[in-house]
Amino acid sequence: MRKMLAAVSRVLAGAAQKPASRVLIASRNFANDATFEIKRCDLHRLEEGPPVTTVLTREDGLKYYRMMQTVRRMELKADQLYKQKIIRGFCHLCDGQEACCVGLEAGINPTDHLITAYRAHGFTFTRGLPVRTILAELTGRRGGCAKGKGGSMHMYAKNFYGGNGIVGAQVPLGAGIALACKYNGKDEVCLTLYGDGAANQGQIFEAYNMAALWKLPCIFICENNRYGMGTSVERAAASTDYYKRGDFIPGLRVDGMDILCVREATKFAAAYCRSGKGPILMELQTYRYHGHSMSDPGVSYRTREEIQEVRSKSDPIMLLKDRMVNSNLASVEELKEIDVEVRKEIEDAAQFATADPEPPLEELGYHIYSSDPPFEVRGANQWIKFKSVS
Amino acid sequence: MAAVASRTAGLLRLRAAGAERRWCGPRCAGLVQGFLPPGGEGAAQKRRVAHFTFQPDPESLQYGQTQKMNLFQSITSALDNSLAKDPTAVIFGEDVAFGGVFRCTVGLRDKYGKDRVFNTPLCEQGIVGFGIGIAVTGATAIAEIQFADYIFPAFDQIVNEAAKYRYRSGDLFNCGSLTIRAPWGCVGHGALYHSQSPEAFFAHCPGIKVVIPRSPFQAKGLLLSCIEDKNPCIFFEPKILYRAAVEQVPVEPYKIPLSQAEVIQEGSDVTLVAWGTQVHVIREVASMAREKLGVSCEIIDLRTIVPWDVDTVCKSVVKTGRLLISHEAPLTGGFASEISSTVQTYLGEYPRRHCTGTPCSEKRV
Repeated sequence: MRKMLAAVSRVLAGAAQKPASRVLIASRNFANDATFEIKRCDLHRLEEGPPVTTVLTREDGLKYYRMMQTVRRMELKADQLYKQKIIRGFCHLCDGQEACCVGLEAGINPTDHLITAYRAHGFTFTRGLPVRTILAELTGRRGGCAKGKGGSMHMYAKNFYGGNGIVGAQVPLGAGIALACKYNGKDEVCLTLYGDGAANQGQIFEAYNMAALWKLPCIFICENNRYGMGTSVERAAASTDYYKRGDFIPGLRVDGMDILCVREATKFAAAYCRSGKGPILMELQTYRYHGHSMSDPGVSYRTREEIQEVRSKSDPIMLLKDRMVNSNLASVEELKEIDVEVRKEIEDAAQFATADPEPPLEELGYHIYSSDPPFEVRGANQWIKFKSVS
Repeated sequence: MAAVASRTAGLLRLRAAGAERRWCGPRCAGLVQGFLPPGGEGAAQKRRVAHFTFQPDPESLQYGQTQKMNLFQSITSALDNSLAKDPTAVIFGEDVAFGGVFRCTVGLRDKYGKDRVFNTPLCEQGIVGFGIGIAVTGATAIAEIQFADYIFPAFDQIVNEAAKYRYRSGDLFNCGSLTIRAPWGCVGHGALYHSQSPEAFFAHCPGIKVVIPRSPFQAKGLLLSCIEDKNPCIFFEPKILYRAAVEQVPVEPYKIPLSQAEVIQEGSDVTLVAWGTQVHVIREVASMAREKLGVSCEIIDLRTIVPWDVDTVCKSVVKTGRLLISHEAPLTGGFASEISSTVQTYLGEYPRRHCTGTPCSEKRV
């Protein structure tokens, strides 16, 4: 008995830096990886599609879970801050669509490029910016990623071109970035995202034509969350097969609520583009729980039952969690611990975002033009002159 | 209040310039947002929210029974009258079927049917092009662009197709029965893409008319005139007034003539010209000027931006000798420059000021 006590105390003393629960978990045997079946993608002008099975390692699984949970909690925290009027202006949340941003990132390299529309907080995070800079940008403080001047719709990071307010305008930009990728010859691709509403904009078809004509390494991605603001896809589009709308561009329709499906499809699409075959189109079928923006309750054009059904049957975080737990890749407690850590991280970030000072008024006129030396900009009254430094 | 104070001080300088009739001093910028001058009030730079007070006009009884309406209700009333009177009239745009994002088309689909009030997909160029097509066949097309900031994909259609149709076909065809409506102007939280005032871009194009009302009563009359006018018209509705502006508006249809500015207050010392929301700001400035400086201001609401009422403005400047134009849009190339240079062409040199917005004025609150 005494020996056992001594042994236990040695173990506990030796593991003094880790909490006791961690020791217990580490001693449990988890699988290193597991193979999962994923939904077959519908194909357009493609002989073969992405594989229907995929291997998920424990490490990757935990990483994806943490990232998705971070995006989810960050969006919910933004919702809370908006209702407290700490975030003002426009705020478009992407909770429910976490599998899209995390899955896309999992299928590409950090050196690849990405451009999207205004539902961009998740992508800003997955492209590498810490949560605190995102929340600080939402609250308009100088610690924000655009120095507090951009707000919800205008966040940028390395190889992430925003964050664009005008619907559909980012797609020709994405084709242009793809042209630069091809020209630079570094084997990079550009992911150009747009929504189901934007899919009816004329400039998208212009971008399709140019990308296909010049075989640009551009992956056009339609994030179909079934509603363009308040208009359901059936009422806006003559053809809701968005993956076929590229006509001469091959396409695939992907289950956007399953992160593994998104990852495999992205890998497939990226490989397709990198091989020089030209652009490809991906439709991610996904769903957003919030309304279009914070000023839209989101229930006047769809039923609460529908939202609840998606939440209970297809929630991306839940799907990943179930898979990992059922295949012994992780335990429920371990994932709960990640939840707790993520919550704390978001709380800290929200603290920072609320406490950080606003950008100084002197910076109001910066970056209008690129100019050397700095020039003067008239302010909002005749005594104020801003120096425009850029 | 700092905004108004700075404008008043600007007027003070105008008065000091006296009868010298010289162009003098820096232009003053007195938009709805004001910043304190450095060195004033502890030099602590404070932000102010967008400020103005809507001032309703006295009830007009010449058009029959009136009803209390705000701006979006007066628009609905005008559209209702149009659809009732003109069986070819149709309303289309993004989200107009359920009533529109600003509730301007509430109830119209139920009343007139889904063939006459219908949604379009998200495609501004398509909406305007499609509208031009409808108008060319003779039907009345009332297109809605969801925000004036989004009108730019349709710019080509408006400038190259709509404006020039009558001219290039030698009057064989025209799209005069097209009216494009769009919410316009700053609202406080709109930032880059929900606050723009693009009237100056369209003023540069002959063949179209651009109209901006200041109140519900004006809006209904002007919109009905635009719809019945035999030229393509763009009707910008100040979005900040949709709920804030409440007035007694006649229930029956009535028209307010286009290309006629309105002198809403007579004065003798300086002419103040504005349109849309800024008219209310200017009214407040005028009353402050009268109280504090003893300056008597003549206020003109331009109403139609192009073709604009040169006579009324010039007659006023002849009387007062000084002109101040104020608009939300940016200074350079703003419509104030056009008014200013035209008046100068006819009347010669005179003291004048432009008080306008800046590229940075659309700040998030």
